[in-house]
Amino acid sequence: MVGVLIITHGNLGCELIQAAELIKGRMNGVLAISVDPTKGVEELKKEITSSIKKVNMGKGVLILTDLFGGTPSNLSLSFLKEGKLEVVSGVNLPMLLKLPDVREKNLTEFAYFIKDYGRRNISLASEILNKKVSTK
Amino acid sequence: MDISLVRIDDRLVHGQILEAWLPFIKASCIVVADDDVASDFFRKSVIKMVVPSDIEVIVNSIEEFSTNYSYDEKEGKKTIVLFHDICNAIKAYSLGFKFEKLNIGHVQSEEDRKYCSPAVHLCKKDIEKLQFLVDSGVEVELRCVPRDKPLNFRDMRKKIMLP
Repeated sequence: MVGVLIITHGNLGCELIQAAELIKGRMNGVLAISVDPTKGVEELKKEITSSIKKVNMGKGVLILTDLFGGTPSNLSLSFLKEGKLEVVSGVNLPMLLKLPDVREKNLTEFAYFIKDYGRRNISLASEILNKKVSTK
Repeated sequence: MDISLVRIDDRLVHGQILEAWLPFIKASCIVVADDDVASDFFRKSVIKMVVPSDIEVIVNSIEEFSTNYSYDEKEGKKTIVLFHDICNAIKAYSLGFKFEKLNIGHVQSEEDRKYCSPAVHLCKKDIEKLQFLVDSGVEVELRCVPRDKPLNFRDMRKKIMLP
């Protein structure tokens, strides 16, 4: 099973996990790290290193971050290692809910799948409605 | 280049720069003046990768930056200049990059440092260094994001209990 680490600005990651657990039940092998202005870069790197160890079950680790270019993402990129650790930004609740269903995939497939799944699950309601009406 | 913001930020390019300062200033160029990053291919690549492609990114050593650009020129691209710490900003200033305003964004707590704001911890020595810039006519402000109320140098001294 691929280990998952959610690194975000503030408590977004913890809250996302809580929301996902509310819907889907307990999530194993998923941890969150909060990046806030009071933590220094070195301190955060240590926290990430130890969390990677905790969630890694030998099948690699996927880091989910909120914003490409933000500190959580920038720090995560320094841990990038193809086949061992992948980083996907733009984490959302649909992604989290899908995690337990596909975690037996290998890391690379898993990372691609989660990225595409997160994208696919952003919708504009009226667009969907209009499509449905127009195809009838 | 038109220098619109000179900032001390130990995170260099991050969310606040890309999402708050860049649109606020309408800057089209970001300079990272930092010896460590300039000599680190990976960190340099990450910075270039995360900045939107319509924004020019210049990563230079402090010396290279301070001696290679003409600062008198007020025209050209609106530019944000980032330094990792106060010492680096002073080094650039001494080498000829005479900025008029300095924004303190992120300086993180180490030993002996006192709380100024959630993102800024300074020690007495930092204040002395900043005093050098203030005495040279630089306007120093502490402000994390554009919408924050800025703290001036005197307020900063008060925050860390200096008269």
